Amino acid sequence: MLTNIDVTIILFLTILLTACAPVQPWERGNLAKPQMALDPYPLQSALRAHNYGSREAAAGGNAAQGGGCGCY
Amino acid sequence: MGVIKKFSGNPCRNDGIGLSLKALTAAALILPGLFHPAAQAAEDDEVDFQYSHYQEGKRDILESETTRKNNANPIEVESIHGGAKISLTDRIKFAFNYTQDTWGGATPIDSGPFVAGANGAIKTIGIEEIDSIGAASPLISHRVFFDKNLTPYKQILKDGQFIHVPDKRIVHTLAIASPETRKQGDFKLGYEWDNAAIDIGGGISLEDDYESRFGNLNGRLDFNEKQTTVNLGLSYTNSDIDAILDHDIGSYGNESNFNQYIQVIDEETNTKKIIGNRQDWGANLGLTQVLNKSASLNAGMSYTRSTGMLENPYKRVEYFFIDPDQTPNSEGLLQGGSNAYIEQRPHERNQWNWNLGYSQYVQPLDAALHVNYQFFHDDWGINAHTFEGDWVQPLGAGWTVTPRIRYYSQEAADFYQPYFFSFNKRPSQRDEFDPALLQQNYSSDQRLSGFGTLSGGVTVAKQFAKGLSLEAGFEYYTHQGGLKIGGGGEQDFADFDYWTANAALKINLAALGRGASGSDGGNFHNHHTSHANAPAGVMVAHTLDKAGDIMLGYRYMWNNQDGNMLHQDSAVSLANLQNKGCFSGQGHFNTCLAAPKSMAMHMHMLDLMVAPTDWLTLMLMSQFVNMDMSLRGTPAFTGGGNLAHHIANGHETGGIGDTGMYGLFKLWDNPSHKVNLGLGFSAPTGDVDIQLRRAHHQDGGFVHYNMQLGSGTWDFKPSLTYTGKADKFSWGAQVSGTKRMESRNKSGFALGDMFQGTAWGGYDLTNWLSASVRGVYTWQGRTKGEYPRNKIDFVPTPETEACPNESFIIDDGNGNISFDQAGFNQCIVEIRNANKEGLKSAIYTDDAAYRSNPADLASNSGGQYVDLGLGLNVNIPDGAFAGNRLAFEWLQPVYTRQTGYQLDRDGALSFTWSYGF
Repeated sequence: MLTNIDVTIILFLTILLTACAPVQPWERGNLAKPQMALDPYPLQSALRAHNYGSREAAAGGNAAQGGGCGCY
Repeated sequence: MGVIKKFSGNPCRNDGIGLSLKALTAAALILPGLFHPAAQAAEDDEVDFQYSHYQEGKRDILESETTRKNNANPIEVESIHGGAKISLTDRIKFAFNYTQDTWGGATPIDSGPFVAGANGAIKTIGIEEIDSIGAASPLISHRVFFDKNLTPYKQILKDGQFIHVPDKRIVHTLAIASPETRKQGDFKLGYEWDNAAIDIGGGISLEDDYESRFGNLNGRLDFNEKQTTVNLGLSYTNSDIDAILDHDIGSYGNESNFNQYIQVIDEETNTKKIIGNRQDWGANLGLTQVLNKSASLNAGMSYTRSTGMLENPYKRVEYFFIDPDQTPNSEGLLQGGSNAYIEQRPHERNQWNWNLGYSQYVQPLDAALHVNYQFFHDDWGINAHTFEGDWVQPLGAGWTVTPRIRYYSQEAADFYQPYFFSFNKRPSQRDEFDPALLQQNYSSDQRLSGFGTLSGGVTVAKQFAKGLSLEAGFEYYTHQGGLKIGGGGEQDFADFDYWTANAALKINLAALGRGASGSDGGNFHNHHTSHANAPAGVMVAHTLDKAGDIMLGYRYMWNNQDGNMLHQDSAVSLANLQNKGCFSGQGHFNTCLAAPKSMAMHMHMLDLMVAPTDWLTLMLMSQFVNMDMSLRGTPAFTGGGNLAHHIANGHETGGIGDTGMYGLFKLWDNPSHKVNLGLGFSAPTGDVDIQLRRAHHQDGGFVHYNMQLGSGTWDFKPSLTYTGKADKFSWGAQVSGTKRMESRNKSGFALGDMFQGTAWGGYDLTNWLSASVRGVYTWQGRTKGEYPRNKIDFVPTPETEACPNESFIIDDGNGNISFDQAGFNQCIVEIRNANKEGLKSAIYTDDAAYRSNPADLASNSGGQYVDLGLGLNVNIPDGAFAGNRLAFEWLQPVYTRQTGYQLDRDGALSFTWSYGF
C-alpha cells in the first residue's frame, strides 16, 4: 500500500529527524509562545473542520454525517 | 485555550487539552469518535462558549432561463458550543462538551439535464407574491432527447415547427428542509505521567434521523527530552440511520433499490422509513518534533474503515433509460425516460490520510507561521490534497490577528456522475427495480464529484485581564469544479459558496482565581454580590456591589409542555378539539387535523453584568433558543392522506433569540434589605419568520407561533425586586413585566404582554449550600395579529408561465440565436382571450391559513399560571473554584388556565452558573 508519496514523506521525516539539533528546555521560549501552538484556535478549528467535513469527501468521511433531509 | 501560559515541557505538545477539546468537537461534528489526539496536560482549567453562523449562497438553478424564481433560502446553520475542562487532581483531567446545531434551507438532492425540467413550479404562499414561483422538490419527470454522444437536446419552436437543439447544461434539483436540530454531548477523562498520558473518551450525537455513539482511546509518549512526542489513537463509532422517506419525492422517484432497508411504519398512508447502521473504525499515529529553537514539525497518518449504510438516504440519482430498440426521430435523436433512485454506494470504504505540518516562529515580528499539507486516498477512487497556512500575529495589548488560507482539491469517486444512463427499456412500472439495468454503485452527490475549493478568513482574539478572552472569526469559502487540480472538475452548476462567522468566549478558571485572589481570593468572591441567593429561575434579582465589578453568567432554562390539550383549565378530548380548536373565522378551514403532543423549549443564555457606578448595574443578555414539538393526529386526521408523514418527525427550530439589555438601579441597600429597580429592553434579534418546508407544491407556511425564536418586537421589561437576609434565612419578592412596544412584528403578529409576581424563602443548609421554596403567579396575554394569509382561489393564467420566453428562442445550431416574436405574440393573445373567458388557473389557497393545528392560531395563546418552585444554590467559598456559583430550580405547575386551546404544562428547570471577578 506504500505509494510514492508515502516513501517521500518517510524519507523527508527521517532526514528531518536526523537533522534535529538538541534544543534544551531553557531554549524553548519561542516554541512555547501561544502563537506557536499547533492549533492556536481549537474551538474555531473544530467548526471549520465541521464545515469542510460536510462539504468535502476527504475531510471526515461520509456525506450522510449530520445529514437530515439531505441538508448536509 | 490554546494559550500556553508558561513553559512546561515539550513545546511540540499539542497545546494541552485545547487540542483534545478541539478533537472532541471536531469529531463530534464530522465523524464522531475519530481522530482524537491524546489529551495532554491541562495548562489551565477552562470554561468556553462559542456561537457560530453558517450561511450558504444561493444555488444557481438557471432561474433566469425560466419563469421559475429560486426564492428558497439556502442552507443556514446556527450552532452553539459549551465546554469545560477541569483538573480533578494534578494528574487526572476531565473535559466535557455540549454542542448543538440547528439548520434548514434548500439543498440539492440530485442533478440532471436542464432540459429535463427539474425544479418544478411551486406556488409560494405567505408574505411573498402569489405569482413568484420557487424551486422545489418534484424531480425530473420529462422525457429527454439525446444524440449519439448522449448530449441532451431541448425542443424549440422555429418557423411554426418544433425542432431540437443541443443543450448540455445541468442543474441541481433543490429540496427544502424544515429546521432540524442535532445535539451532542461528549467527555474525555485522562491520566498523565511525567512523560506520557492516556485518555479515554466517548459521546453521543442525536438527531431525528441519525444517532451516533462513539468512544476512543488515546495515548501519548514523550521522549528524547520531550523534543519528540508520539500520539496513538483508536476510535469507534456506531451510527443508526432512521430516515423517513420524503413522500414528496417518493411520488416522483424510485425507492425500490433500498427495499431491504425500508420499513413501512404506517400502512394506510404508506409512510416509509429507511433503517440502517454504519460503523467506523479509526486509527491514527502522530509525531511532533522540535527542530530547533524556532521551528517544529508534525506528521501523522490515519486509517479509517467504514462499513454499512454509507449512503445519504436523501440523495437521489437520475437514471435515463434509452431503449436500444427505439427508432430515432427525424433528427436522428433518441428518447430517454428517467427514473430517480436513491443513491447507491459501496458498503465499505477504506480511507487513508497523511499529513505534514510545519511551524516557524518569526522573531522580528513575534509572529508564527503554520503550514500544513494533507493527502487523502480512499478505495472509492478519491484522492484529495489540502494545503493550509496561517500567520498568527500578536499586536500587543492582548490582541492577536490571524489571517489564514486553505486550498483543497479532490478527484471524483468512481461511481459519481451528475446523471446516469442505462441502455435498456425503461421499466414500465415506476417502482419496478431490476439491478441488472443499473450500475453496481451510483451517486450524484456533489461531494463525491471532482472539484476544488478555496477559502480564507481571519481570526481576531483579545485576551483580557483575569483570564477572560474573546475570539471572533470569519471565513469565506468557494467550491468550484474549475478549481480542481489538473482540470476536469464538475461543471459550474455545482458551484457554490458559503461564509461563516463565529464568536467565542473563554474563561480561564485558574487565571481568574489568581487574578482575583490577592491575599484572600475566596473572600473577595464571597463579598462580590450580596443576596445573590435568589432561586435560579428568578432573573435580574441582584446587582453588583460596587463600581468596577464584573460578573459573567450562564443560564439554562428548559420548559416542557406535555399531556392533555386544555381549554381554559380543563382537559379537552381530541374529538372536541378538532371541531373547536382551529376555528379561525368565517371562510377558513376550521377542523384541527393535528395537535401538539409535547413541546419543549431550551434556552441558553449568556449574561454579562458590569457596574459602572455603585448604584447602577448594566446587564447584557444574549440567548440561544431551540424548540421541538411532537405532534399527534386528531380523529379527523385518520385517513388524512399524507399527513402522517408530516407529523411523524415533529417540528424543530433553533437559533439566536432576542437580546436583553437591562439597567438595575439600587433603590435601597443595606446588609439586611435590598431593593432594586430594573429597566430593560429586549431587542428583536430572534427570527420570527421561520417556515416549514414546502411539500406537495405548496409552502409549509409559518411554523407555530410559539416556535419562532423571538418576539419580533422591541419589548420593555421592567422589574422591581426586594431581597432580605438574616442569619441563615433569606427571602425575596419580585414583580416583573413585559410590554410589547410594537403592535406587529414583521410577520404580522405581536406576542401578548406578560406580568409575573413571585416570592421566595431560602435557608442556608451549610456555608456552601442553600435551599429555596418559591411561589410564582404569571399572567400572559394573548398574541395579537396573525401571520399573513392568502385567500386567492383562482387567478388568470400568468402570461409568463403560459408563454415562457425560452420557448420562442430560435437557435439554428450554428450559434445564431433569434427570438420568434410572432409566435410569442400569438401565444400572448391566446392566453389573454382565455383569461377573459374566465379560464383561470387554480392556485392552492391552503397556506398558513390552513390552520390545521391549534398552535397555528394566534387566539390559542396566553393564560394564567401558578407554579411552585424548589431550588438549591451552591456557592463555592474557597479553594480552586472559589467564586463559582451554581443554582438549580424546578418549577412545578400548580394551576394552569390556558386561553383558547393549548397544551398542558409539565414543568420547567432552571440552571445557572455565574462567576464574579
